[in-house]
Amino acid sequence: MPDTFFTKSPHWGWWAVSEFFIAGIAGAAAAIAALLWLFGSRDDRFIARYGFAVATVGSALSGLLLTLDLKRPERFWHMLLFSKTLGPTFQKWWAPMADGAWALFLLGGFSFLTLVGSLADRGPLPSGLAFLARGVLGTVLAALAGIAGVFYAGYKGVLLSATNRPLWGDTPWLGILLLASGFAMASALLLLLTRDRSPAVSQWLRNLMAGSLALTLLVVVILAATLDADVRRLVLQNVYGVLLVVAVLLGTLVPLALAWRPRLLGRLTLPSAAVLVLVGGFLLRMAMLLSSEAA
Amino acid sequence: MGSNMAENHPVAFRWVAQAKLNGATLIHVDPRFTRTSAMADLYVPIRSGTDIAFLGGLISYAIENEKYFKDYVVNYTNAATIINDNFQDTEDLEGVFSGLKEAPQGSEQKYIYDNATWQYKRVEPWDPAKAREEAKKAATFAEMIQRMVPPAAEKDPTLQHPRSVFQIVRRHFSRYTPEMVERITGCPKDVFLKVAETVTANSGRERTTTFVYAMGWTQHTHGVQTIGTTALLQLLLGNMGRPGGGILALRGHATIQGSTDVPTLYHSIHGYMNHPDARKAHDTLADYILTETRPTGYWANFPKFIVSYLKSMYGDAATPENDFGYDWHPKISGDYSHMATMIAMAKGEVKGALIFGQNPATSINGALQRRALMQLDWLVVKDNFETETASFWYASPEVKSGQIKPEDIKTEVFLFPSAQVAETEGTFTNTQRLIQFHEKAADPPGDCRSDAWFTHQLALRLKKLYADSTLPRDEGIKNLFWDFDYDPGTYPTNTRIEGEPDVFKIIREINGYQTGTKELLKSFGDLKDDGSTTCASWIYCGVFPEEGKLLARNREPDPDNKPGTNLGWGYAWPANRRVLYNRASADPDGNPWSERKKYIWWDAGQKKWVGYDVPDFAATKAPDTPAKPGATGLDAHDGKSPFIMMPDGKGWLFVPTGLADGPLPTHYEPMESPVVNLLYPKQQHNPVAKHWQHEENQLAQVGDPNFPIVLTTYRLTEHHLAGAMTRWLPWLAELQPELFIEMSPELAEEKGIKNLDLVKITTKRRSIVAKALVTPRLRPLMIDGKVVHQVGMPWHWGYMGIVTGDIVNDLTAMVGDPNVSIHESKALCCNVEKLQ
Amino acid sequence: MPEPMGFFTDTSVCIGCKACEVACKAWNQLPARNGGKVTLSGVSYDNTVALSGIQWRHVKFIEQFSPDRSTGRWLMMSDVCKHCVQAACLEVCPTGAIIRTEFDTVVIQSDVCNGCRACIAACPFGVIEINPETNTAMKCTLCYDRMQAGMVPACAQACPTQSIQFGPISELRQRAQARLEQLQAQGVTQARLYGHDESILGGLNSFYLLLDEPEVYGLPSNPQLPSQKAAPASALSAAGAVALGLLGLAGLRKQRMDRLAAEERERRQQAPETEG
Ligand SMILES: Nc1nc2c(c(=O)[nH]1)N[C@H]1C(S)=C(S)[C@@H](COP(=O)(O)OP(=O)(O)OC[C@H]3O[C@@H](n4cnc5c(=O)[nH]c(N)nc54)[C@H](O)[C@@H]3O)O[C@H]1N2
Ligand SMILES: Nc1nc2c(c(=O)[nH]1)N[C@H]1C(S)=C(S)[C@@H](COP(=O)(O)OP(=O)(O)OC[C@H]3O[C@@H](n4cnc5c(=O)[nH]c(N)nc54)[C@H](O)[C@@H]3O)O[C@H]1N2
Ligand code: SF4
Ligand code: SF4
Ligand code: SF4
Ligand code: SF4
Ligand code: SF4
Ligand SMILES: [Mo]
Repeated sequence: MPDTFFTKSPHWGWWAVSEFFIAGIAGAAAAIAALLWLFGSRDDRFIARYGFAVATVGSALSGLLLTLDLKRPERFWHMLLFSKTLGPTFQKWWAPMADGAWALFLLGGFSFLTLVGSLADRGPLPSGLAFLARGVLGTVLAALAGIAGVFYAGYKGVLLSATNRPLWGDTPWLGILLLASGFAMASALLLLLTRDRSPAVSQWLRNLMAGSLALTLLVVVILAATLDADVRRLVLQNVYGVLLVVAVLLGTLVPLALAWRPRLLGRLTLPSAAVLVLVGGFLLRMAMLLSSEAA
Repeated sequence: MGSNMAENHPVAFRWVAQAKLNGATLIHVDPRFTRTSAMADLYVPIRSGTDIAFLGGLISYAIENEKYFKDYVVNYTNAATIINDNFQDTEDLEGVFSGLKEAPQGSEQKYIYDNATWQYKRVEPWDPAKAREEAKKAATFAEMIQRMVPPAAEKDPTLQHPRSVFQIVRRHFSRYTPEMVERITGCPKDVFLKVAETVTANSGRERTTTFVYAMGWTQHTHGVQTIGTTALLQLLLGNMGRPGGGILALRGHATIQGSTDVPTLYHSIHGYMNHPDARKAHDTLADYILTETRPTGYWANFPKFIVSYLKSMYGDAATPENDFGYDWHPKISGDYSHMATMIAMAKGEVKGALIFGQNPATSINGALQRRALMQLDWLVVKDNFETETASFWYASPEVKSGQIKPEDIKTEVFLFPSAQVAETEGTFTNTQRLIQFHEKAADPPGDCRSDAWFTHQLALRLKKLYADSTLPRDEGIKNLFWDFDYDPGTYPTNTRIEGEPDVFKIIREINGYQTGTKELLKSFGDLKDDGSTTCASWIYCGVFPEEGKLLARNREPDPDNKPGTNLGWGYAWPANRRVLYNRASADPDGNPWSERKKYIWWDAGQKKWVGYDVPDFAATKAPDTPAKPGATGLDAHDGKSPFIMMPDGKGWLFVPTGLADGPLPTHYEPMESPVVNLLYPKQQHNPVAKHWQHEENQLAQVGDPNFPIVLTTYRLTEHHLAGAMTRWLPWLAELQPELFIEMSPELAEEKGIKNLDLVKITTKRRSIVAKALVTPRLRPLMIDGKVVHQVGMPWHWGYMGIVTGDIVNDLTAMVGDPNVSIHESKALCCNVEKLQ
Repeated sequence: MPEPMGFFTDTSVCIGCKACEVACKAWNQLPARNGGKVTLSGVSYDNTVALSGIQWRHVKFIEQFSPDRSTGRWLMMSDVCKHCVQAACLEVCPTGAIIRTEFDTVVIQSDVCNGCRACIAACPFGVIEINPETNTAMKCTLCYDRMQAGMVPACAQACPTQSIQFGPISELRQRAQARLEQLQAQGVTQARLYGHDESILGGLNSFYLLLDEPEVYGLPSNPQLPSQKAAPASALSAAGAVALGLLGLAGLRKQRMDRLAAEERERRQQAPETEG
């Protein structure tokens, strides 16, 4: 019996699946938005705005789900501040969840500020707030949002690795897996949201999505191949294994094929791919989380 | 053997665990592999009810292989004594002893024994009846006893005489070969031989072996004989009266030992004196004393014990002129034991009952006992919980199923809430005769009252009720000495519930005092037979030697547990002795048998016995003291006779008096058994066993194919007896929540039963349902070439409490041992089927 | 600073009496499952089944018999929090609810815990769970309250056979070694110590003498710290982030290049007109 099988399940369950799904999208969306904001054409910043919006809403939702999943939700703030000293919990940087909580907080915060700034800069909000999106401050805020986003999207997998649970604690590949899949999902979502409003960006997002999917696929293969045989048998030779295969087929292989042959289904090709990526990302998280909980 | 010590006496088991750490070998003989077996170096399977065959095998092995302790056997046992020429053994009479005769009509026994032929052969002829006539004319009790001294018994110290005890024992057990042991008990021969080798190698000068038993031995129709077999074996191996030896009875309820010393038993009064009995020659005090006193040995002091006892019963009213009130004392006229009483109750012969701390609705043949309770006019239950006994009229299975309607039950039930042990003060006497005092931790809540309060109040009210009676039969209660009220201001710091008696006054009464001065007695050596001393229980005399110095309160352990007798901890009766008959720990010359086993020895310089314990011997009687021919008491013994309570000062391998079912133990099958008695096919079970006749108390025939499986019942650590004290407590209830039946995978497969399936268990009496716990800890046994399955059921459940379950005792039968009327719930026959 | 204190549990003398379980519940006022009304588990004599938020001690029963019963053992072991010197639960707890005490034991402060359950997944021994009454994570405190008052933990006090021995770790280690040697000398070659030295998580302040492989008792043979696992996972994630970042940048860069080229082309096309 592998060592991880003597442990108890935290029963994170469906809350966590949803939260991981949203977190992956929100984090990666901020990262993608930051890239576009910082290195893309100024004209495309309105697309980056979508990214920050997704990140803002996503982190809010993510935070809400996290809080509701606490057994003592009224103590949510204990995640950020030590309740006895009121010091910030990131002082305990080696505790992934403390870092995650702060990352989420910052992700939401910076994304929101950048979003506000950009909406003020060229949009409905009072232009007095535009300073948030302009100059050095704008650059820094967007960059921070992006960094927090990358961190948050990848941290979820690291959080799982930093346990002694079956599968999670048995592989170092979950972080990169969820990160890659998060990028794929965020690209997919942004593709859907922005449609063809900027062909160049769409092209770019498509490539990013394809690259992320390729990386996801690669990592899944490596993960499955390097997993201890007993763990694989005990955790994945069941309905969750099937789920994983479905997730990979539906969520990576098919969209990759569609991205490779963009005219296959006519105008619906890319949107279909994007939707599949999102569904696949959700299924992937289900497989990764629930299989271990069930073991 | 016959004890699951780790599960049922876990706190005492700490000493076994420690002995193991010190290198002791632990063997567990049990039908089931239990938590005790788990701790043992060797687990030995056995069929329930066949321990005498196993132990007899050990006896035979020790004798035939010359592995008994010869010096000990010759000097300290009655091995050399010659037995009456008329004695006939089971070997001669195919399974019974001489003296068997039909029991009187209507008795619960078919046969009884007359033990006349079992007696020692005397050096000259002796007529006890004539001696008794002479004795009755004596002026004093001492003189009376003197006239009853018999001539010495014939002996052959070479042990060669064919009618010597030793040769009789050897012949008697010659059938118990290792092969026979295997055929009867199912214990493989090689395992048996391993036990035999270990036990004999671990006995002798340098080492001792102890046997620990409890209900696995006693709850049989031959329970007393099983313990007798062990006594015989331990005497042969020289393991009695020595440290690390003996036979340890693990007793049950808290202070159950105390309740036989100062007894709640019907057939005995304090200090193991027989109860005055209308069926015996007990008409006057002199008759009683003549019948009960053994003129040689320490029991010669009997008149002092009984007179001091009567003084405690009747106080100043007891005078030499009125035989110290002996006539007022109740006399028994039959078997008033639990089962006998319940049968009488079922027949409508009992009007009312007071039930304290007992739960008969779940007891042996439970349905029959519940039916008996329904015949009462009134019933008082005094308990901490509303037990099955208090609630049978609305909650029992008979009532729930509609078979009986509550309104048809005439019994009026009164439930009195009882105080818990921590809410009372008093003493416990536990298994090693150790008396310990405990304080009250808190007053009981609400209307809960201690049993002492209740009994005290009942006595006061009864005395008041009869105060004006002029009937002779009421003299007893009128003259009963009862002065246990608190004197105001005695214990100003303690809380007292109004009406509680003063337990120290009760302890005073038990310990005894000078009748005139009321000065406490220091030892039972001070007792007199003229009424000048008062003492309720002679064996406890000395526990309270001075005012304010109750020795049961001592809490002084030996430093570093050396020498380990811990004489400063509590008080062990008699006289704070920890090992009885400890003179036997020294050789005939008074030197320790070995340095390793040094315990009590003769110090020639000081001219007295010294050692780690209180010597159980006349303190200054040298080993070379000769016996005084014709003397009474201890003077009749020489300095080499350790067993001072016995008339001849010797340990009895052969028991001429005192046992109802033979002078030697014999293997008999339980009353219900799937196999015939292989040893004596013509005598299936104990010929003098008790079986109460009732239509609801029938037994399965030998080998009845409807009931092929051996069933045994037992306890779990997690629960206590009928369960009131555990099934009502969530923390314990969750540990063993449901009734189960343990069975081997082999039997389960045969019956198509899977783990946790519901199973129906049926005996000749009734059926109940339990969950199957299929476990390799149980195993099928090969009995005489055939597979016999055994199953086991803990019996802690009932219909009240947090967790409930069927009553296992609805399966058992009211059959009993002839000596002590204990039931046979350790070996019965049943069938098991998967519940459809 | 007092000495590190803890338990040496000698399973070879455990009689499975569960006094430790009950003593723990009594002292810590932990409820019975479902008020005591539970069903038979069917697993030997174990009906409390596992450690949990209301079950801080749990006695395991392991029946080992050969089919012909020529050999057979019934192993019992009282399981509890190991009070690891390198404690996984403490490491991952984000709120700082889990602390190391002056006795080198590991305690959850229930007024701090918010029930995130990171510790549950982290503990390599499956010790912690949520207590449904407080909704916080709970486990053995090694009777911190009793220790502060100089008392022996309730379970150790109740244990009749001294299977649970409480004391300074250094002393317990010596005792354990002596007991191991004694058992080995008696031919119990399977006996071994578990967690008595630094090899397991820097040492377990509640360590064991076992009579079989740790796995038989449901113990991991090589438990690990979460941080050990987090490091490579973080490194890989970072690498992934860099790769994806570069991919994105490269795309943007290509896009910019393309756009610049397109603008250039446009300009060139327009130039002759202006010039012309
Ligand atoms: N936890 C707990 N402790 C208790 C009690 C309790 O209810 N619960 N009850 C107390 C009381 S009142 C008493 S009397 C004692 C009883 O203490 P024990 O006598 O130890 O109790 P039992 O479990 O009835 O029986 C002991 C063992 O006898 C075995 N056995 C059955 N038949 C035979 C046989 O024919 N031969 C042999 N050799 N073994 C046999 C059974 O398998 C069982 O393991 O325990 C006391 N202690
Ligand atoms: N099949 C089967 N039957 C058996 C046995 C067996 O092994 N197998 N064992 C037999 C043996 S050894 C015994 S001892 C009997 C026991 O049988 P019982 O004595 O009938 O059973 P208990 O459950 O011990 O009942 C004791 C009651 O005393 C109450 N009590 C506790 N403290 C006090 C107190 O201070 N005052 C009062 N008034 N009440 C109190 C408890 O709540 C409980 O209801 O069962 C016998 N029956
Ligand atoms: S229940 Fe009480 S008397 Fe029995 S072993 Fe436990 S502590 Fe001793
Ligand atoms: S055993 Fe588990 S709960 Fe206990 S200290 Fe170690 S990691 Fe924490
Ligand atoms: S559940 Fe409580 S103790 Fe456990 S990690 Fe979260 S906050 Fe800490
Ligand atoms: S040390 Fe205290 S809290 Fe821990 S198991 Fe023992 S009794 Fe329970
Ligand atoms: S109290 Fe001691 S002997 Fe009893 S189960 Fe617990 S550890 Fe084992
Ligand atoms: Mo008993």
